[in-house]
Amino acid sequence: MNDSIRIEHLYKSFKGRKNHTVKAVDDLSFVVKKGELFAFLGVNGAGKSTTISILCGTLQKDSGSVIVEGDNIDKTRRYVEKLGVVFQNSVLDGALSVEDNLRYRAALYGIEGEAFKTRLAELSELLSFGDILDRTVSKLSGGQKRRIDIARALLHRPEILILDEPTTGLDPQTRKLLWDVVRDLRERDNLTVFLTTHYMEEAADADYVVILDSGRIAAKGTPLELKTQYARDAITLYHVNEAEIAALGLPYTPLRDGYRIEIAATADATALITKHPHLFVDYEIVKGKMDDVFLNVTGKTLKGDDSK
Amino acid sequence: MTFLSLTKRNCKMFFKDKGIFFTSLITPLILLVLYATFLANVYRDSFTSVMPEGIALEESLVNGLVGGQLLSSLLAVCTVTVAFCANMLMVADKVSGAANDFLVTPVKRSVLALSYYVATAISTLIICFVALGAGLIYLSSVGWYLSFGDVLALILDVFLLSMFGTALSSVINYFLTSQGQISAVGSIVSAGYGFICGAYMPISSFSEGLQKVISFLPGTYGTSLLRNHAIGGVFREMEAIGLPEIVIDSLRDSIDCNLYFFDHKVATPVMYLILAAALFVTLSAYILLHIFAKKKKG
Repeated sequence: MNDSIRIEHLYKSFKGRKNHTVKAVDDLSFVVKKGELFAFLGVNGAGKSTTISILCGTLQKDSGSVIVEGDNIDKTRRYVEKLGVVFQNSVLDGALSVEDNLRYRAALYGIEGEAFKTRLAELSELLSFGDILDRTVSKLSGGQKRRIDIARALLHRPEILILDEPTTGLDPQTRKLLWDVVRDLRERDNLTVFLTTHYMEEAADADYVVILDSGRIAAKGTPLELKTQYARDAITLYHVNEAEIAALGLPYTPLRDGYRIEIAATADATALITKHPHLFVDYEIVKGKMDDVFLNVTGKTLKGDDSK
Repeated sequence: MTFLSLTKRNCKMFFKDKGIFFTSLITPLILLVLYATFLANVYRDSFTSVMPEGIALEESLVNGLVGGQLLSSLLAVCTVTVAFCANMLMVADKVSGAANDFLVTPVKRSVLALSYYVATAISTLIICFVALGAGLIYLSSVGWYLSFGDVLALILDVFLLSMFGTALSSVINYFLTSQGQISAVGSIVSAGYGFICGAYMPISSFSEGLQKVISFLPGTYGTSLLRNHAIGGVFREMEAIGLPEIVIDSLRDSIDCNLYFFDHKVATPVMYLILAAALFVTLSAYILLHIFAKKKKG
């Protein structure tokens, strides 16, 4: 079995104001492969958190099927042991110490005594929190709390790590640490990572991306496929004059030290180079960005506060 | 082990919140001081006014009776209201998202429910036993007539009522989803429970219809048990000094040591049975609520 998560025809609606039905998730189908970094993109209210809640078994779906590591979530709860979840808002007990938080969590999975000490040592080294074990959680910084959240989700060595907006509001150092840890775990343990994010650079590093818009899948594919299909490439030419660029008959934008030409695909760049080699002395070709993909697919832009 | 660990976590969360713990702890003590200051004279006057003319009792005997009445009222109220104060974590976990997070672990819902219950029961018992200790010290200073058996029976009463109060608060709090709701319920219970369990005013002073309604509430029998054990020694002393049986029995009636269910006098073992059955039913209902809880619909 190569699928970690298989969701088919998932529907979920809520009663809104004046009994108006809001379709939070509308015929959602996708597959997350084992060991994959899967990114879920969408603005607030797109249906990302609803899908995660259904996936975690805390929210009832209207219809459709959800299979996690071969287990149908309607028939068994065995699959929850294979999930590690980092919620958008920390669910650590603020009044307790870091060690107590992790100890009581580990006990829920039967990890106690020496087994807990060993796992705690591993995780504190991996996530660099050995020096704050006896600190009260409420007194930690956002970045420190996030590291403990992740350690908490990894205590029982899950097969799937669900990260719901994990890096929102984090400093660059903690953000880098988080992604380094995720990369290590994927390489070492073939961990599947299900990520929701509004940071395009994080989505661009994913193996597969699903863009949600109003509960429906607006686009899906690898970042390369999405960029090829939904974003235009650009060529920047240096040390040329405007008349030569205008003669190409393509839309262009003057820059301080050159001109940027938008092209539909990389193949068009090859054709231009072959036809006008004298223009291509100093140049660069840039693939379309995920921001462009998102904008073209949904007609919306993702901002820093679009955290759901 | 999961159960023990969860219970430990819940207890630690309660005791780490010094505000809640100390407020819960000093409330019964403040109540004891207020009762002794403001209600003792009222109780004393109402007691002496029903005594037949020509019968004079020792001051310490009167004080023992009044003190026992105060202590039993205090404990009857505290065992339930403290449980409501202490039973906040279940709702706090819903608010923080921790309750949802527990559902993404292998822990069974029944284990989770029991861990909240036992942790609240432990906190409630600690506070109520402190209140009992303070009350016994008060009684020893005004007029001590309790036997060792009475003290043991009081401990059993406080234990059973605290367990019942915790189960009752657990069932009610199960349906609450915010700190505001829990504060409102706590206030209502604190204000009203003392009346319906017969702690503030004897049930015998209520109208007949109301008495019948109240006789269906298990807390009433808990109050009566506490009364019997806190004042039993005073009645034994009254018998010893030759006070007529009819006078003692009318006194028992007037302060709810004797309880009647549709004119049938309820014996002490039956009161224990009612309280134990009420505890069993509420606790079972609470656990079943957790077990049969469906996933959130939205």
